[in-house]
Amino acid sequence: MLHETLRFFPGGDRAVEVELGDGMDFTLNFTVHRLVAAIREAAIPAIEDIIPELASLQINYDPDRMSYEDLVREIAAIYERIGTGISGTLPSRLVTMPVSYFEAETTACIEDYRRTYPDKRTDPDLLCELNGLEDRAALARRHSATEYWVAALGFWPGLCSLLPLRPGSRITAPKYNPPRTWTPKGAVGIGGALSCIYPDRTPGGYQLIGRCPAPIYDGAQRLPAFRDSLALLRAGDRVRFRPVSAEECAWIDAEVAAGRYEHDIVEYQVFSVDRYLDWARAHGEKA
Amino acid sequence: MSTHSITVLKPGLETTVQELPGRIGYLEQGFPVSGPFDKWSFRQANLLAGNPRDAAALECQFLGPALRFECDAVVAVTGADMRPKLDGQPVPMWQSVPVAAGQVLELAAAYTGARGYIAVSGGIDTPVVLGSRAVFHMARVGGQALAKAQILPLGAQPTGPRDLLAVPEAVRPPFPTDRTWQIEALAGPNDDWLDDASVEMFFSADWSVQAKSNRTGIRLTGPEFGFAGRALSKGSDHGQDPSNIIDHGYPLGAVNLAGQTPIILVNDAPSTGGFINPFTVASAAFWKLAQAKPGDILRFRRVDREEAARLRATLETVTSAGVTVRV
Repeated sequence: MLHETLRFFPGGDRAVEVELGDGMDFTLNFTVHRLVAAIREAAIPAIEDIIPELASLQINYDPDRMSYEDLVREIAAIYERIGTGISGTLPSRLVTMPVSYFEAETTACIEDYRRTYPDKRTDPDLLCELNGLEDRAALARRHSATEYWVAALGFWPGLCSLLPLRPGSRITAPKYNPPRTWTPKGAVGIGGALSCIYPDRTPGGYQLIGRCPAPIYDGAQRLPAFRDSLALLRAGDRVRFRPVSAEECAWIDAEVAAGRYEHDIVEYQVFSVDRYLDWARAHGEKA
Repeated sequence: MSTHSITVLKPGLETTVQELPGRIGYLEQGFPVSGPFDKWSFRQANLLAGNPRDAAALECQFLGPALRFECDAVVAVTGADMRPKLDGQPVPMWQSVPVAAGQVLELAAAYTGARGYIAVSGGIDTPVVLGSRAVFHMARVGGQALAKAQILPLGAQPTGPRDLLAVPEAVRPPFPTDRTWQIEALAGPNDDWLDDASVEMFFSADWSVQAKSNRTGIRLTGPEFGFAGRALSKGSDHGQDPSNIIDHGYPLGAVNLAGQTPIILVNDAPSTGGFINPFTVASAAFWKLAQAKPGDILRFRRVDREEAARLRATLETVTSAGVTVRV
């Protein structure tokens, strides 16, 4: 899925999109993060921002300090130096997120959209049909049976793109077209082969399956997990979904409202890329 | 209450504190750059107020605020013509205006343009969040839009006599009289997802600004796009619609195509997403997007990186300290 060489696409006079490959998979995304780390290490003064994404990265730069041509040459040289092999370990926090599948707020949001677009199939039913799942319980089981790799953050502060790590846990879905104008805070969605958690009430396009009562974004930094940042997750973290009942969901909502909720975050783990790939291959499917 | 402050009597429609260069370095976590939408007017306002040109100042959208000064200061109003009044008496835009403690500055609805700027001597001194005072109000980063009775702290006021300055008309941002804007834009990053005729069409059609436009995006109405092979025969990871692509970064100023609706991504726009960006507005032309009102017409003129660099140099000149004159 990796291209032979990097492909560069200028985005106006201050940005360039660097495409590494075509597809959504762990190996490609890990290669993106390796390249981003190497670019950061090179500390090129003209670079203002880097956005790592699933199969590409975007660099914002000051064109009055470095020309597009020089920047592209520099990035290509870094990529050639680091190569495309993937191995090693990296620190990776495991964040367990309680989720209430098919709960009231997401159901109301889906129905609100369907009042304008009555032909839109209800999200969980569409997902079951497209992925050969017999019912909603089977959908929830498959969705919660894997750890997810935080491949990228973007679109909104803290919004995460989650790739399932367990082979066979892939669920795919088309995105809404046109997009929704609103989505409940904490909603869990599936689009393409990705899951996401909506950090706030925002527009959106992923098919909705439930809601996490514990926030992944806290602009006021009230909860302990947000002491250092407004956003909970970082690229390279892993997320696991823990299904909870409506009662437990309501209890967590109340704990969050009271400023007492403590997130379940395991800080001491490392992620071994080689061992992960071996494990994924042993499970008989491409990672 | 701090003596160096402003009290908000009326907040206006969506008035925010903005600062340059904006929130740099946090796009990877999804925080937009924010900052003033019309950098040209913003910087000139600061120069007139005696500030560094990038200091924190106020951006007003469509309808301006009413502000009571709790200290003597110098203020400057630029950008959209919101008919500023001091204690009910009209005051000129594009020049320094001395105000005394207790006086009230009030801006009305935009007569021409869409966004007005108010700079105050000493700058606005709200807390720095993730490296900037710029407000991304939709996610409450750096604060929110101004609220009634809010108190805005100001930086230290210079002492002694001050020069009163003006920006000559020739170096102010030129607003068209026929509500038609020429916007310089570059092809890419994803122009290869459209068919050739649609690339040509983008640069020749009239595009109307929709009412649902704000600091996240300028929505356009116009003709339909046709797609190239890359958009029509692609892996399923890219999504179903021809305009879908595997999630990628969004450049500032990108013309983002969601289905058939082009949305120009501006200061508070999403950092990433799953739609193509066939064109990108030249950075020196962003200010025009800030001043285009719903119903205005945009016409895009294709430029290359060299011309975009010349436009940046011109903008740099007209926003440098040398452009002001004493009054």
